[in-house]
Amino acid sequence: MTLLRSRPHGERDTTVPAPPPAPPRTGPARWARDLAMGMRFAAGGGREGWIRTALTAAGVALGVAVLLFCASAPTLMNAWHGREKARENLGQAHPPPRSDRTVLYAHTDTVFRGTAIRGRLVRPDGAHPPAPPGMRHLPGPGEMVVSPALKDLLAAPDNALLRARLSSYRIVGVIGDEGLKGPRELTYLAHSDALSELTGYRIDRFGKSWDPRPLTTPGLVLVIMTCVALMTPVMVFIGTSVRFGNERRERRLAALRLVGADVRTTRRIASGEVLFGSLLGLLGGGALFLAGRLLAPSITLWDINVYPSDVTPGPLAALLITVLVPTAAVLVTLVAQRGVTVEPLGIVRNRPPVRRRLWWRVALPVAGTALLVPMAIRPGPIDDPLATGCLAGGSTLLLFGVTALLPWLVDRVVGRLRGGPVTWQLAVRRLQLSSGPATRAVSGITVALAGAVAIHMLMTGSQAGYAAAYAESGRVPQISLWGNGASWQQTERLLSALRATPGVTTARGLLDANAGRMPTPDHDTDRDLPGIIGVGTCAELRKVAHLPSCRDGDAFVTDGHRDSGTERGLTPGATINLNPPDASDEPVPAPRPWTVPPSARAAQLAPLQDGHRLYYDLLLTPSVLDTNRLTRPSVEALVRFDRDTPDAVEHIRNTAARIDPTMMEGSSIDNPHDRQYDGIRTTIFIGAVVTLLLIGAGLIISTVEQLYERRRLLSTLDAYGTRRATLGWSVLWQTALPVALGLALALSCGLALGSLLLTIIGSDVIVDWPVVAGMTAIGGGVILFVTALSLPPLWRMMRPEGLRTE
Amino acid sequence: MTPEGSLLAAEGLRKAYGPTPALDGADFSIHPGEVVAVMGPSGSGKSTLLHCLAGIIRPDSGTVRYGTHALTELTDAQRSALRRTDFGFVFQFGQLVPELTCLENVALPLRLNGTKRKDAERQARDWLAQLEVDGVDGQRPGEISGGQGQRVAVARALATRPRVIFADEPTGALDSLNGERVLTLLTNAARDTNAAVVLVTHEARVAAYSDREIVVRDGRVKDMAGRI
Repeated sequence: MTLLRSRPHGERDTTVPAPPPAPPRTGPARWARDLAMGMRFAAGGGREGWIRTALTAAGVALGVAVLLFCASAPTLMNAWHGREKARENLGQAHPPPRSDRTVLYAHTDTVFRGTAIRGRLVRPDGAHPPAPPGMRHLPGPGEMVVSPALKDLLAAPDNALLRARLSSYRIVGVIGDEGLKGPRELTYLAHSDALSELTGYRIDRFGKSWDPRPLTTPGLVLVIMTCVALMTPVMVFIGTSVRFGNERRERRLAALRLVGADVRTTRRIASGEVLFGSLLGLLGGGALFLAGRLLAPSITLWDINVYPSDVTPGPLAALLITVLVPTAAVLVTLVAQRGVTVEPLGIVRNRPPVRRRLWWRVALPVAGTALLVPMAIRPGPIDDPLATGCLAGGSTLLLFGVTALLPWLVDRVVGRLRGGPVTWQLAVRRLQLSSGPATRAVSGITVALAGAVAIHMLMTGSQAGYAAAYAESGRVPQISLWGNGASWQQTERLLSALRATPGVTTARGLLDANAGRMPTPDHDTDRDLPGIIGVGTCAELRKVAHLPSCRDGDAFVTDGHRDSGTERGLTPGATINLNPPDASDEPVPAPRPWTVPPSARAAQLAPLQDGHRLYYDLLLTPSVLDTNRLTRPSVEALVRFDRDTPDAVEHIRNTAARIDPTMMEGSSIDNPHDRQYDGIRTTIFIGAVVTLLLIGAGLIISTVEQLYERRRLLSTLDAYGTRRATLGWSVLWQTALPVALGLALALSCGLALGSLLLTIIGSDVIVDWPVVAGMTAIGGGVILFVTALSLPPLWRMMRPEGLRTE
Repeated sequence: MTPEGSLLAAEGLRKAYGPTPALDGADFSIHPGEVVAVMGPSGSGKSTLLHCLAGIIRPDSGTVRYGTHALTELTDAQRSALRRTDFGFVFQFGQLVPELTCLENVALPLRLNGTKRKDAERQARDWLAQLEVDGVDGQRPGEISGGQGQRVAVARALATRPRVIFADEPTGALDSLNGERVLTLLTNAARDTNAAVVLVTHEARVAAYSDREIVVRDGRVKDMAGRI
């Protein structure tokens, strides 16, 4: 039998089937085609497709915005430091000679009700002085330019005392942005004719070369932990959102398989759908970042407050974020599709049920602990690269370890649960069958909370250390003031004015200056530590030393050497140098000899007084020495006040500013660290709340997705007469169980990590329990929030429409 | 007007989904212990009739009476309570809770009615034995065959000793051998308990298990025995 009919040469065989289509293109072109097709599906996928795209975009947008803010940190700090460098020049290294282009410059920083105000005085030497950034020219005599924030502060009705402090100057302008570190900075620059070479520096330019201090190790750990704690929930959210509407997507992919698409093509198409969402998210993240940075002026963190334009990521970082975030979203999708094969007639899940193994999950936190514990047991320097690496690595491993442990913990705990009411049983059984989606969403909570608790503890511990120190120092209500002294008479005027100030109980003070041994051919005095001479009336001297007796004309040699092994030669009858070298690189000044009265008697300095150590070597009554012969004498006063007198400290500051605005203050009245730490802690708390809400959103997606997949079952249960409340409670338990376990794990890990970090930095371990309780309460709130928002879709899906098959 | 002695009766039921009428003046009645097959082509309104009779949905007009109750006048909560206590359901698929074991699935309606767990599970075990699936107690629905699953579903429908069992294509997803076994067990158990069975099907061989057949066509009911 002939199977093939022979045909004459040249005859056309019309029965031959058409050749198979050309093999599809491979490589990037094929990837691009499939991704583009996926993007088209995402855009035209109907309501559900758009919801999925919107959720993916929201997750990616948050991630992109967080990354852009983190990437802006170096630029921000450079801009902040850069403006300070450009405007400052206190203590020019080589003072210029007086000229038409020089200016005397002094700082008059002050504090008003706990808020620091930067002040600068100028007095031009000629007609062409330099001007700092932010102003065209220096203000005229008696005039000042102020920052907008200070202008507002001065205008506030309650601030009469601050207006009085700066009443010598009239506001003639506002400092421009380039002259301010940030929009909320309080600063002024005033022209004072009272400024002299004694009280100011001579400079010929503004702008100083100095490098900001690099980030300290705790700071670095803080940044790393913040990034981990912020980014993990965002990644979890993206992972959850790309799974939304999986069922319909899988049906669509199965249909594609039916018409000839291979498995890899369907995966690329699925990735394309996610890519569309992530590209939208990229745009959204950019918009979120641009909108968010507009809030920069209203935020002050650690005294850093910047302009929106300062919040700009570096170009390389921005490029990496633009490329890596969508790529990461696609990779997440591909990873999520592992073990899932889309067949022409549906989905085949060919992954066996995951058996969660403990060993590698425990390995992560154990490795983290192993890195940190030795540092806690044997505290040492923590600012070397190895220690920094151990700290950062250990903290990160501990945080990630929590994420890895949670699925195992949930599996183990729910696996052992038995009995209970129907609602509980439905939830437990559901989790026993598949706890993956809920655990995946909750793992974000654990990292965020553990990180927040640990960072919070770090902050609380450090803050408590400062608070204790300030409480000890500020136990006695006193304030010390020091500045340039001209004469004893001026010092007396200052003391009298202070004693007349409202709220002042006592005030003491001396005029002091350095003195040293006379140089001799066989003794170079360059490296000698100078002794200190104190000049004051007998009444003032008695406040610092036990004097045998005293009258004007007496001199006393004390036992107040700072280093008892050093003999300074300030002995009765010795000729000493009133112009000793100051250990700088400047040429050794010409000696100014003066003989200590041979009648000088020994006196014993009073023991440590008021927390202030006394260092006087020689105490003189005013008539013993012409104070004009002293080199750069200074005045130091210690003022005690009555805490019950309103604004007593502000009155004292006003008095000091009236006598000498360049006078400096040393006090433990205001603890600036409280404000700094409070700001950070508040930010962390808000961040934790936002993160938990984000996780809540992820949980809602996962819960609603589960409900949607079970809508027929829900309708059936409704047909049986199952109460809505029964299924509502079951959803509540189903959310509450993993969240409660996640919270417990997060709090344990956070407290352990916080304790380790505090021990490492040598601080007392202090837990801010109200904050821990607050965060736990927010976690509980998330459970209710998720349940409440899941109920409407639950009830909708319990409708009988789910039973219809036609 | 309710036919005399009927347990469940409907009159003039109308129900439309958008512009499409599913029921257009349908009447129905069933007596205790009676098995009525509701037949008709796809889309004729069979399932809608069953849902209206069971109080799952409210008809647009017409009345459904169950004993002394006018179902159409009860609140949603009252109808739900009635379904829990007096009605049982068997559907084609998607009815067993996948995460519960078969025993827990059968015990579920009893527990929803307030029966204690141990009691509920003891009764459920009896029903599983009666339906000849006593070996699947601890297994989940995904681990048993379709036929076994449907018997578990029948056991669950009978567990509360309902007065009416609604079965919507109960054998639609089964092979003929399994289907026949399920129907035999269902109808025998119903007769033993004097429960009425509303059996929706489009298969004549399934209808053969009934005492009476009605046909739904274009939303109207025709009693093959000439009785309403």
